[in-house]
Amino acid sequence: MRILNLNNIIAYFKLHSRAYFRSKGSIFFQLAFPIILMIIFGAIFGGSSTAPTQLVIQNESPSQISWEIVNAINDTGIFKVKILNENSSINSYISDNSVSAALLIPKNFTQNFAMNGSASLIFTGIGNPQEEQQEYQILNNVVTSMNYKIEGKNPSLVLKSDYISQQSLKEVDFYVPGLIGFTILNSMFAMIYQVPNYRKDRIFRQLSFSGISKGEWVISTALFNFLLTVLSDAILVIIAYTLFGASLNFTILTSLVTLVILFSGMLLFIGIGILAGMVSDNEETVSVIGNLIIFPMMFLSGVFFPLAFAPSYVKTISDFLPLTYFINSLNDMLIYKNYSVLELEVPILIVFSIAIFLISVKLFKWNE
Amino acid sequence: MDNKVIKVTNLVKKYGDFIAVNGISFDISRGEVFSLLGPNGAGKTTTVEILEGIRKKTSGEVIILNEDPENNRKLIGVVGILPQDFNFLWNSTPMDALNFYKKALGSKGDIRELLEKVEIYDKRDVPFQKLSGGQKQKLGLAIAMLNEPEVLFLDEPTSGLDPKARRNIWKVIETLKKEGRSILLTTHYLEEAEILADRVAIMNHGQIIDTGTPMEIIERHHNKDRLIIRAPQSISQSLKKVGFVGNYSDGYLEIELSESRDAAKIINYLVDENLSFEDFTLKRESLEDVFVRMVGDEDIESE
Repeated sequence: MRILNLNNIIAYFKLHSRAYFRSKGSIFFQLAFPIILMIIFGAIFGGSSTAPTQLVIQNESPSQISWEIVNAINDTGIFKVKILNENSSINSYISDNSVSAALLIPKNFTQNFAMNGSASLIFTGIGNPQEEQQEYQILNNVVTSMNYKIEGKNPSLVLKSDYISQQSLKEVDFYVPGLIGFTILNSMFAMIYQVPNYRKDRIFRQLSFSGISKGEWVISTALFNFLLTVLSDAILVIIAYTLFGASLNFTILTSLVTLVILFSGMLLFIGIGILAGMVSDNEETVSVIGNLIIFPMMFLSGVFFPLAFAPSYVKTISDFLPLTYFINSLNDMLIYKNYSVLELEVPILIVFSIAIFLISVKLFKWNE
Repeated sequence: MDNKVIKVTNLVKKYGDFIAVNGISFDISRGEVFSLLGPNGAGKTTTVEILEGIRKKTSGEVIILNEDPENNRKLIGVVGILPQDFNFLWNSTPMDALNFYKKALGSKGDIRELLEKVEIYDKRDVPFQKLSGGQKQKLGLAIAMLNEPEVLFLDEPTSGLDPKARRNIWKVIETLKKEGRSILLTTHYLEEAEILADRVAIMNHGQIIDTGTPMEIIERHHNKDRLIIRAPQSISQSLKKVGFVGNYSDGYLEIELSESRDAAKIINYLVDENLSFEDFTLKRESLEDVFVRMVGDEDIESE
């Protein structure tokens, strides 16, 4: 492959952006799209909720009663219970592993129960406030039924909640990464349309006479779409903050990493769009192929709907979808403040992007 | 010094069992306008696209300015190309397009001068889709001319244009010709080839069936010349007496001539004998008449 020439990348970027910004309709919809999307999702899904599959339990006071509680929770079948080692720090585990709910049975639990007939458990919710409420309710039901099981005692086990997220996170925060993912998918959809149209209209052939290479064209297109998406997403975030009171974890570091994630994602999805566009030979096929790629990815990567209750095979499929890493990276950075994504998800996303970029450049042809 | 800028030898292009180009050979000299003529499906565009380097040949040899064009970046910008049905990005203007090519090709061409040369400077900021067919082709020509190429490929440059727009494009091509550039012109307008081309090659079914100057082609293949005289019917009897038989219809006598100089004999006879006639025309077959007969019933309207 020829070394990329920055001059050519800039030349096509200018040509493309000038043509794009000459269309008032394109600008309007580009700006209106995130506004409409944010308002619709804020309004419609504001009340939706679900529960996590994984609940981390640390039993600092092993005893018959404490283990009975753990077993009862496990028996509900709703939670996938993970018992944390006594010596581990539950707080470190939460921040390192992006768990959405945890239950602590404190050291004085058995002693308090034996001496006073009453004791407390501490529930920690880290996810969507609606989900936290649901999780708390389920656990509370377990605790209440335990109270009834213990003969001769009035209900005395208390589940205290420690919603660490309530202080900082709002409902809207959980939609923003998904909506950013959606704006990226939008660019991919545009490519699925553009590639067969440019081929049919022989614009690719004309571009080939300029000496610009296929790689330069892909990079230039991705760069243009990236900046356009950053603009859209900036509007989206501003609306999320101003209208819905969002409070995401935007620092200089997370903003820079978010930009890296966005550019990698753009290169990746532009590449997928080009590959999909190459197999579309007419407008009908374009729609079918576009929808076949976008819809499963949207639902199976957890863009809008958490996969907490999805069957395990769906989660396995999700692990193979590039969008999953994109959304997970954004979720972990912006919601859970989990910087371990820099070690796994973000590198995986970058590798995915480079691989798809190289494959799309290799397979794409100016002329059929 | 070799004066040939393009050499094509035994060029073959097959698509499966179908042979689109079947062993053609031709060459183009420096400063020459060479035209490939042929009906629909004759293989003209396939040949040009192989020469442009965007299509792979099956066999044979193609040399352009001492280079094989296949996968050869050395010829980008050195050869100017106006493809058939030139098209460009929606909403881009002639100014945007030429700025892009100038930057990408590293060209020193003067964009204003170029736009003025093709007479679309006043349309420099008009979005591509709002340009007329002729203006679009002129933009395509300007792009092809940007790097002042020694060789130009013009594939159906006036296809679908009205007569005025066509003549405007001819004017630009004539300027290029005067500048000494070598041009490969494909067209199905025979009049265009007759006016612009130094030599033509007539293609049919993937083969070149004749090559030469338009006059040479006409000389080799034309039917007999015809003399048409506007005169009273009595003149046909007078001429019959001296051995010139023709058909009289609607005030015109049409005589097929064995030799072209018989035309002079007939007119002299009419003048000497004081036989009255109003006017006369000597009709020779055009390249188009010859071409249509050579390629038979093929569709010559479009490719």
